[in-house]
Amino acid sequence: MKKAMALGLSLVMGLGMLAGTASAVSAEETELNIYMWGDYISDDLISGFEEANGCKVNLSFMSDNADAVNKLTAGAGSDYDLIMTCDAYMESLIAGGYLEELDISKVPNAEANLNKAYWTEDIHNYCVPYLMNYIYVVYNKETCPLEEITCYNDLIKPELAGQIGSVDGARNLFPIALVALGYDPNSREEAEIKEAYEWLTQYNANVLAYGSTEQNMVSGAVSVMFTYDGNTAWAMDQMGEDNPLVIAPFTEDPVQLGMDLYVMPKGAEHQELAYKFLDYICDPEVMAANLVEFPYSCPNDAAVEAASDEYKNSPAFDFDYKTNIFFQEDVGDALPIYDQYYQMLKVG
Amino acid sequence: MDDNRTPKAQSSDQKKQNDQYGGRWLPEKSSSPARKKSRLPLLAQAGPVSLWMVLFVTLPLLFIIYVSFMTRGTFGGIEYRFSVGSYETIMDPMYFTVILKSFRVAAVTTGLCLLFGYPLAYYIARKPQETASRLIMLLMIPFWTNGMMRLNAWMLFFQVNGPVNYLLTHFGLTEKPVMFLYTDWLVNVGLFTNMLPFAVLPMYSSIEKLQKSLLEASFDLGAGPAKTFLKITLPLTFPGIFSAIILTFIPALGTYTVTDMLGGGKVLYIGNIIKNQFGAIRNWPLGAALSVLLLVITALLIFLYSRFAGLEDMEVV
Repeated sequence: MKKAMALGLSLVMGLGMLAGTASAVSAEETELNIYMWGDYISDDLISGFEEANGCKVNLSFMSDNADAVNKLTAGAGSDYDLIMTCDAYMESLIAGGYLEELDISKVPNAEANLNKAYWTEDIHNYCVPYLMNYIYVVYNKETCPLEEITCYNDLIKPELAGQIGSVDGARNLFPIALVALGYDPNSREEAEIKEAYEWLTQYNANVLAYGSTEQNMVSGAVSVMFTYDGNTAWAMDQMGEDNPLVIAPFTEDPVQLGMDLYVMPKGAEHQELAYKFLDYICDPEVMAANLVEFPYSCPNDAAVEAASDEYKNSPAFDFDYKTNIFFQEDVGDALPIYDQYYQMLKVG
Repeated sequence: MDDNRTPKAQSSDQKKQNDQYGGRWLPEKSSSPARKKSRLPLLAQAGPVSLWMVLFVTLPLLFIIYVSFMTRGTFGGIEYRFSVGSYETIMDPMYFTVILKSFRVAAVTTGLCLLFGYPLAYYIARKPQETASRLIMLLMIPFWTNGMMRLNAWMLFFQVNGPVNYLLTHFGLTEKPVMFLYTDWLVNVGLFTNMLPFAVLPMYSSIEKLQKSLLEASFDLGAGPAKTFLKITLPLTFPGIFSAIILTFIPALGTYTVTDMLGGGKVLYIGNIIKNQFGAIRNWPLGAALSVLLLVITALLIFLYSRFAGLEDMEVV
């Protein structure tokens, strides 16, 4: 009996440990190692690239933007050839010398198809944008206690107590508070960040849960969500035609447009293959197929043109303030201030 | 497998009585000289584990203590510059509140595990050998699945349009679906189900060892079931109860997945805060300092435990 139990216990513990071990990746000439968000690129795209180039693509996944930055600043060139990060960190990453400068002539598809309004001059030589996310407010017109939500300040009204499902992260939450208070969404002033923190404590009181916004909306746990456009597309799809979801008709407040992009860490080992991959994902047909599975906003104009009507007419992108946007900028030395107030917010 | 219940163990022979009380595990008083010289068996038995512990427990712990005295880089990561800043930060009463809150939830979990675990352990221990093995197996089977899957299952089960709410509204028990998700209540359910086997197993082992003859003697001498339980059963199974407390309280104190998922990332406990330092907040030295704090508290608890209960009595299966 005891033996059986000991065996049982050790099995449980052993399994627990197995779950914790990281997958080891051996680097060969025919391998490409990519670190990015999980569930964010189509398997068909990856296998298509593998077939076309006779190589193996190893994907590893991050759980937070900070993971990618940690890897890049620790020197990830020996482990990864491409790393996904977002526009908010580009300035410091370039300044810190953590990135390879790209030879853009090797990614002609990117040069031809990507919209330069997003692939701006200052980051042009160090990254290739992948997909974009609007982070906006969506509500269920049948269950939301408010008639209408037209600005961020509506989100802290007491009627919405326990009604909001929200994305998480300091650099997603603080900008909306700063906008609501009339400040620069990328402020570096501690006094302003502190005020934003106070605004967010009211917001926090209305939030039911952070993360899983779309599931909570579909299951009916929340009636308002502050979320990504791709998540909204999913929720609308789940709730069927004539779904009661409305993208909040904002009148003045700008919404955040975040961009996920690929960078090459300094000293990446399989650069030729990495260039081929970047060029491959910028091919309009390839990206259009990818958008079927991952219907996010896309900086690749030709791909959007080639995309399905379903994507083009997706109600998740059907709002009229698409150009009233702000980007997450690198806040440099102010980052620890954000983190400190974010911590206070979460500890409560 | 277990000789405690075989007839020969019930003979009056002194040596076998010793066996019954686990005496065979005690070091023999008169060991032969040959045995003393041979280090090989000792090395073979304890060597790999010791090496493992030094490499994967002691050294990482020392590294954590080292990191806790370093400085946070602007980008996160570690700047190797000595600083006690992290320890100054955790003097903030804010952290004290969180730790208190974590203690409360861990205490509730432990309490629930004892309350439900003890009768369960008792029930299993009183069953015939074969049935008992099967019951223990049943207890372990859920743990063959991934922990995240189990938590997700709880979420689906209790969500607004989930089966529980369907039944409640279907039978008119409630008018509107009940919001079970993201409440302290569900966090406690999740923690309780995650920890239960770790409470039941040591208590089972303790209760199983309890000699029936002692209970019979107690009854013969006129004590009722309640008195027998309080005076005989409970005191004799204390070692199992104490190890159940340690095995549930400490993991519950540091857990973060359960509270993250079932708590909606809104209510943070000490485990979540430590995890956040290594993720979203990127303050590794502070995370390390908080880990050290948790470690000190845990060590203190085990010390107190050993003073009051005697560590040698600890019953771990």
